[in-house]
Amino acid sequence: MIYLLLPAFILLLLVYGAPMLHYLWMSFHANSVLTGLMPEFNGGANWVRIVSDGRFWQDAIQTGRFAVVSVGVEFILAVAIAILLDQRWRGRGTVRAVTLIPWALPTTVMALGWRWIFNSPYGPLNQLTDLVGIETLNILSNPSISWIATVIGDVWKTTPFMALILLAGLQSIPKDLYEAFKLEGGGNWLCLRDVTLPLLQPYIAIALIFRLAQAFGVFDLIQVMTGGGPASSTESLSLYAYLNAMRFLDFGYSATLVVASFVLLTLVCATVWIIAGQWQQINQKFGRS
Amino acid sequence: MKFMQLRRTTTTLLIVLLVVMTWLGLKTALASQTVDVKVLMPAPFADATKPLVDQFNQEHHGHIRLSVVKGPLETEAISDLAISSLLLGNPPFDALLMDVTWVPKYAKAGWLQPLDQWFEKAEFEQLAKGVQPGNEFEGQIVRWPFVASMGLLYWRTDLMDSPPRTPDELVNISKQLQADQKVPWGYVWQGRQYEGLSCVYLEMIHGFGGIWYDPSTGTIGLDQKPGLAAANWLTNLIKDGISPQAVANFAEAESLQSFKMGESAFMRNWPYAWAELQKEDSSVKGKVAVTTMVATSEENSAATLGSWGLSILNGTKHADETATAIRFLTSQSAQRTLAMSHGYTPTSTELFNDPELLTINPILPELSIALNHAIARPETPLYAQISDALQRNLNSSLTGESPSNQSMQETEISTEYIIKSAGGRR
Amino acid sequence: MNRFRSLWIAILLSWSLGPLLWQLYTSFSSDQALLEPLTSLDHRWTLTHYRSILNGEPPFWKYLVNSLIVSVFSTLLTLVLAFPAAYAITRLGKKIARTLSAGLVLAALFPFVLLFLALLEFARTFNLGNNLLVLCLPYAALSQPLAILILAAAIRDLPTELEDAARLEGFSLWQRVRWILLPLLGPAITSTGILVFLFCWNEYPIALTWISDSELLTLPVAIARIAGSSVYSVPYGAYAAATVLAAIPLMILVIIFQKSIVSGLTSGAVKS
Repeated sequence: MIYLLLPAFILLLLVYGAPMLHYLWMSFHANSVLTGLMPEFNGGANWVRIVSDGRFWQDAIQTGRFAVVSVGVEFILAVAIAILLDQRWRGRGTVRAVTLIPWALPTTVMALGWRWIFNSPYGPLNQLTDLVGIETLNILSNPSISWIATVIGDVWKTTPFMALILLAGLQSIPKDLYEAFKLEGGGNWLCLRDVTLPLLQPYIAIALIFRLAQAFGVFDLIQVMTGGGPASSTESLSLYAYLNAMRFLDFGYSATLVVASFVLLTLVCATVWIIAGQWQQINQKFGRS
Repeated sequence: MKFMQLRRTTTTLLIVLLVVMTWLGLKTALASQTVDVKVLMPAPFADATKPLVDQFNQEHHGHIRLSVVKGPLETEAISDLAISSLLLGNPPFDALLMDVTWVPKYAKAGWLQPLDQWFEKAEFEQLAKGVQPGNEFEGQIVRWPFVASMGLLYWRTDLMDSPPRTPDELVNISKQLQADQKVPWGYVWQGRQYEGLSCVYLEMIHGFGGIWYDPSTGTIGLDQKPGLAAANWLTNLIKDGISPQAVANFAEAESLQSFKMGESAFMRNWPYAWAELQKEDSSVKGKVAVTTMVATSEENSAATLGSWGLSILNGTKHADETATAIRFLTSQSAQRTLAMSHGYTPTSTELFNDPELLTINPILPELSIALNHAIARPETPLYAQISDALQRNLNSSLTGESPSNQSMQETEISTEYIIKSAGGRR
Repeated sequence: MNRFRSLWIAILLSWSLGPLLWQLYTSFSSDQALLEPLTSLDHRWTLTHYRSILNGEPPFWKYLVNSLIVSVFSTLLTLVLAFPAAYAITRLGKKIARTLSAGLVLAALFPFVLLFLALLEFARTFNLGNNLLVLCLPYAALSQPLAILILAAAIRDLPTELEDAARLEGFSLWQRVRWILLPLLGPAITSTGILVFLFCWNEYPIALTWISDSELLTLPVAIARIAGSSVYSVPYGAYAAATVLAAIPLMILVIIFQKSIVSGLTSGAVKS
């Protein structure tokens, strides 16, 4: 029976396990074009460098901000969409299919589309602002707000995924619960807060953690839409690691960045997991489930 | 009767087979003789060299077919494209039009072929003095210059008789002109957080008598007196109102626009800006001259070298033919064509005195002088990283986020760490 | 909520389709019309963008074929590897199964883009670059977690009596799988297959590092790489045409297989 597992799990170990260990090992070596792209032990020099690397910390904050805001917005939209799709009405299936389309497209394809939409001064967004009389929005070349454009692009693409998961959760709630609640005189918003959301809790937790982890590693969207943005203001950690390897030919430092990013990612996800766990405990305590 | 038919069909078939095979044989023989040479260039250069490529292919018809692969518009994107192929050991091009800052990196990675087989040292020395830096690595020539560019100080001839020669003079003249309300701003330059800022800073640190980084000795001069003075001077330009705050977000286009509209007495830009300023919609048409950048002494005056050149990639199967193509594209006649059609600065010393070119580009003499003051950015494979460290720290001073001394100290430390962690022997 | 339902549906539809429809509009607009939206009618609509994409070097359909090859073979390889593993997990002890599943969930959460460097070194050392079939290996590996979880969940849902009866009758493992499990798992296998296919088709970072030859590019990389034809602006018209052409096969896929996709996602994500 174990033999059946072996091929899949060997492949998994090769592709997931080995690299992380290798990265850890590499982070203690210099491996750049100066060493002929071969590793040379250099102690903790890479780690000393990363601690004072302004760009790394800037990217860490930016990536965290991107992930949290993006997932947050997606969550709110996804709840609304899931509620809408949970009800019965004609054409629901088609609308659900259409809602899925953004998620099914390759990110790079629409990333360029978003670049055009936000283009100043010719893109549709600015054409709209011209019509209404607002000043031209120079979003993509403004280091302070270009990240918002990337969040919009990400929300558009991945909201369907979260909506589907929440929809599955909604569909698992027995409808009589709603009826009972309504009979006791509960309004729509209260129903949402006291019945739906607590029962959705496991689904929400899964969706949030999954999306958070993925958003932390955002690469496709940023690289194609802004290339890291004006003055690295939209740059994500994975993009910085990529640039270090592919543009600066510094494999050793790139490995260090990957390890550091992974550590940060684990910390963030662990925090969310613990908070989710606490919330569930609180809910159970107050007998809301 | 049947036998006759059979014989006829077989004979026809044999004849057809013979014809086909001869045709195929001829085709392969001819094809194997025509060598395909592919050169990757950024889109603007690909468009500009099209007539030259056609001319080359006519002259070498049947032997060499030169084709230019049009790369993306953005400089770094071209490098990314080339590197992704080179890292996998599979370069699809024979030659690459390289920016001067990539040369150490590509050469150290072993991707460039030394050109001494096809180009003599003597020929190299015939090129304009300022064009020579940035083409060699460990003593060998690995890139042959194609077009040169250098940083220039543009000044308004209607506002002063002669341009300033020292940083203090520039500041004083600007203040006076601004006080007299002749012009809103004194000096516009590139202060955005990008490579252009490094170019500006390089000119100033040399102007104050210092150096940025010397790979051969490992000296970093950012936190020394000239380095700090340069950063201070640039930061104070904004603080004292000689340059607008917006300069901290200016690239070449924005500074050109501002100067073109007559908003400033001085501008730092590349040679291409001259033609723009002589256009009909320019407020300063006919009122502009160029000179070398200000410095504390004549010999310190520096012009950052920006040049493109052609290199043969290691692993190409047609190095000889590629060298022939490179020689053609950089020949004097090619330079003349490009100078006439697109205003490219030539690389041969003689062409700077050419009367025909002078009519198209009257500032050629000044360009020649500036070229003699050309300084290459630190020639290290780690250039991109140390430039990034400089840009972000200096820009944060320009926007007022941190004092310039502190920025330079931090850049110095970052640069040290970068060099240390990259290992090797520099 | 109910009163405004039509409004919400309309908003949802326009939000989901809006950007795409805008790309459609852009792809047919001439470059001039893009800069000045109120250009006269004669210069407004054009097919040049589509022409330049389809006649490009290499032509657009080549990328579709490359993506198809990689996606199809990756999906097959994934299923071949994941199915036995999924079966084994369901038949092993509870403790082991739970640990393995937890490991798989962690692997599914991991942002695989961080693996690019190790995979790059792999490609350099063993000369694996620029080979569409070799690219299937990392793709199959990255798809394993999700595939195994979905299939395991589906297998667990099947009543065990059928298989037990078959075992008693003396059917070998292979026969049980072939005649009983596979037919019953049709929907689950379809779901998994579609999801893996979509993942491989849309994958970007690994294709970016492993494929550099322009003839071998997969669709996402090719589109990201469309070179500037004009010196002064990004060729948004051409990009839009490429977007529309790339989106059409996917839209068709989604509309046909939407039930599969939904059930696969929800079962896999939820049951883990």
